Amino acid sequence: MLSIPIPADSIFNMTTDHTSASPSVLVNGDNIIVQVRELAVQFNTMQGAVPAVNGVSFDVPAGKTLGIVGESGCGKSVTAQSILRLLPSPPARILNGEILFQRRNGEVIDLAKLQPKSPEMRSIRGNEIAMIFQEPMTSLTPAYTVGEHIMEAVKLHQGVEKREAKKRAVEMLDRVGMPQPSRTVDAYPHQLSGGMLQRAMIAIALSCRPTLLIADEPTTALDVTTGAQILDLMERLQAELGMSIIHISHNLGVIAEVADEVAVMYLGRIVEQATVEELFGNPKHPYTQGLLKSLPLVGVKRRLEPIQGVVPEPNAIPPGCAFGPRCPKFMPGKCDASIPPAFQVGPAHTTRCFLYEESSAGK
Amino acid sequence: MSSHATAHVPLMIVQNLSKHFPIRRGLLKRTVGYVRAVDDVSFTILSGETLALVGESGCGKTTTGRCIIRLIEPTDGQITYRDDDGNIIPLRQLKGQQLKDFRRQAQIIFQDPYSSLDPRMSVANIVGEPLAIHQTESGSALSDRVVQLLKSVGLQGDHLRRYPHSFSGGQRQRIGIARSLALKPRLIVCDEPVSALDVSIQAQVINLLEDLQAEHGLAYLFISHDLGVVYQISDRVAVMYVGRIVELAKTEDVFKHPLHPYTEALLSALPVPDPRKHSSRIVLEGEVANPANPPAGCPFHPRCRYAKDICKHEAPPLRSVEPEHFVSCHFAEELHLRGR
Repeated sequence: MLSIPIPADSIFNMTTDHTSASPSVLVNGDNIIVQVRELAVQFNTMQGAVPAVNGVSFDVPAGKTLGIVGESGCGKSVTAQSILRLLPSPPARILNGEILFQRRNGEVIDLAKLQPKSPEMRSIRGNEIAMIFQEPMTSLTPAYTVGEHIMEAVKLHQGVEKREAKKRAVEMLDRVGMPQPSRTVDAYPHQLSGGMLQRAMIAIALSCRPTLLIADEPTTALDVTTGAQILDLMERLQAELGMSIIHISHNLGVIAEVADEVAVMYLGRIVEQATVEELFGNPKHPYTQGLLKSLPLVGVKRRLEPIQGVVPEPNAIPPGCAFGPRCPKFMPGKCDASIPPAFQVGPAHTTRCFLYEESSAGK
Repeated sequence: MSSHATAHVPLMIVQNLSKHFPIRRGLLKRTVGYVRAVDDVSFTILSGETLALVGESGCGKTTTGRCIIRLIEPTDGQITYRDDDGNIIPLRQLKGQQLKDFRRQAQIIFQDPYSSLDPRMSVANIVGEPLAIHQTESGSALSDRVVQLLKSVGLQGDHLRRYPHSFSGGQRQRIGIARSLALKPRLIVCDEPVSALDVSIQAQVINLLEDLQAEHGLAYLFISHDLGVVYQISDRVAVMYVGRIVELAKTEDVFKHPLHPYTEALLSALPVPDPRKHSSRIVLEGEVANPANPPAGCPFHPRCRYAKDICKHEAPPLRSVEPEHFVSCHFAEELHLRGR
C-alpha cells in the first residue's frame, strides 16, 4: 500500500484545509468550539530558547471532552494556558499557530493573535473560557471570601449589581454541591477542605456559563474518594450546561473515565490522538503502549514493563522522533533523521510514528 | 543471599498502638484536646512480606509507619520485634545502644525525593552516612560498599561525587533506596515511595523494590493511597480510616471480596484505564471525619450507606470474619459488597 502522511491537523476534522483556514471553517465544521492548529510555544530562558509545545493541533467539539495525557514536562499545561493566554510573556512566546475559538455570538476569533491583556481576551477569559487548576489550596486568594471570588467574575462579565451577584454566587455554590451555600459563600479559603475548595473553584469557573472549561489536573491533589466526587460533579454539570471540556491529567485512569477523545503528549508534541475506546483498546504509538504497560492494574498481577530511560531535558530534545532513544522499536537512520508526521491508522486515529508509514492507508 | 529463608514468620507484632497529638491553645499552651492520629491499631508484619497500609490523607498511615520504627514515640501500645537470632525485643523500652542497634534492622524510604536528601551532601556521603554512623565499614571498604549499593539500585559508580540537584526524581528515589539498604535492614517502611514519580518512572522503581525484596528477603510496610500500586506490590493490605484499621486481609481478598463499606467505596472510586469498564462509582457523601473529634460509634457511620442505629453508638472491634480476613463492621457477614 502507498503511504500518504496526513498533516497533523486533520485529526478529527478531515475536511479542514489549514492552509486556508478561514474563520468560516469553524461554523461549517462539526460544531467545533475550539480548533488549535500547529501551535508552537517556546520559553526564552538564560540557557536559550526552550521549545515547550511544537506543532500541536486538535479540535474540541461542542459538549465533548478532550483528554490530554502525558508525563511532567510534556507541554500539556502550556497548551492549556496558551488557549487562555495565561503564560507570562516574556519568557513564553507563541511562535506559530492558530487557536480559533467560536464565540457565543458566532464570531470566530484567533486567540493566538490577541494581546493577553486586550479587552477581547479579557471578555473571553473567565467568561466564555474558564479554567480550574490543580491546587485548589493555592489557586484562590486567601484575603477574599469564596463568594467574592464568584461575584468578581459575575459582576465583571454580566454587569449585575452586587446583591444579584451574591445571589448567583449562592446558587452556584448550591449547584456544585457545597453544603450550606448561604454560609460558605462568606467563608475564606483557609476555612474549607481541599475537596470543598475544588468545588468552590468549579463554581467560580462555571459562574459565567463558559462554553469551554479547561481542567488542569483537577483531582490530582485530592484524595481518591474526594476526587471521585469531583469527577462526578464535572460529569453532571457538563450534561446540564453542555460545555466542552479540555481535561488535562497524567492519570490514564482518569482520562479513560472522562474523555471522549484523547491526545497523548510527549516532549511538546501530540504523538497519538484517537477516540477514547480506540486509544485504550488499540494503542499504536510505542510511547502510549509503554505507558499502558508500565501502569499497575487492579486484578492483573504481572511484571511491570517500564519505559527505559528518562524524559530528556527540554533543551536537549533528541533529533527526529523525540521518543527515539527510549523506544523499543527504534529504527536507526529513520527515526532520528526526521520528525514523523501524523499517520492515519484508523477512522479517527492518528499517530506520529514511522512504524505506520507503510500500513497507513491514504484517505 | 540463600540465608534469607522466605518462611513467613512474624517479624514485628504491633498491639493496640496509639498516637495522640496534643492540641495546645492559649497563652499557657494548655492541652485542650488530642488528635487521635492512630487509635488502637494492631497488626503483624511477616518476614519477607509486603504489608500495605492504604487510606486517605490524615488517616494515620504515615504516623503508624513512623511509630513502628520509633521515629516518633507512640502514646500507647506494644511493639515487639524478632531479631536475626530469634530474640524477641520490646521496641518501646529500647534506649541508647540497643535502640541504635535496632535502627540497623529497620529503615525508611520517604515520599518526596526532593526534600528527603540533603542538597549539600554528595551522593557518596548520603549513602555512606549510615555506614559511617554505625561504623560497619570505613575507608576504602566503605566507598566500595557505596558503589555496590548504587549499582544495586541501578545507578552508576561515577554518580558518587554528584549532588542531589543533578538527578531526576526517579534517580533521587533510587538514592533514597540505596541509603535505606546500606545497613542490610530486614524491614523497610516505604512511605509513598512512588507517589511523586511519573508513570514510566514509577514502574521502574516498583520493579526495583520487588527485585530487592526477592534478593534480600526484605519485609516492606508499604504506605500508599494508590490502590493500583498496592495491588501490584503487596501480599496483604490494611485499610485505615481516621486512625483505625477497618479491614486487614490478603490483597486478593481485599480487592475481590471487601467486607468493609469504606473499602468498597475506595475501590469503586479507583479510575481504571479501560473505557469499556466504566465503573459505577460509589460516591461517598461528606468528608473524612476529623481525628480531633471523631464521631461516636463507628467512625465511618456518617458516610456509610449501610449504617444502622447500632453504628452510631457502638464502635465495631476489628474481628476475624473469615480466616485471615479482619474487619471492623457490625454487619460484615450480612453485607454483600462489590470488589474489583
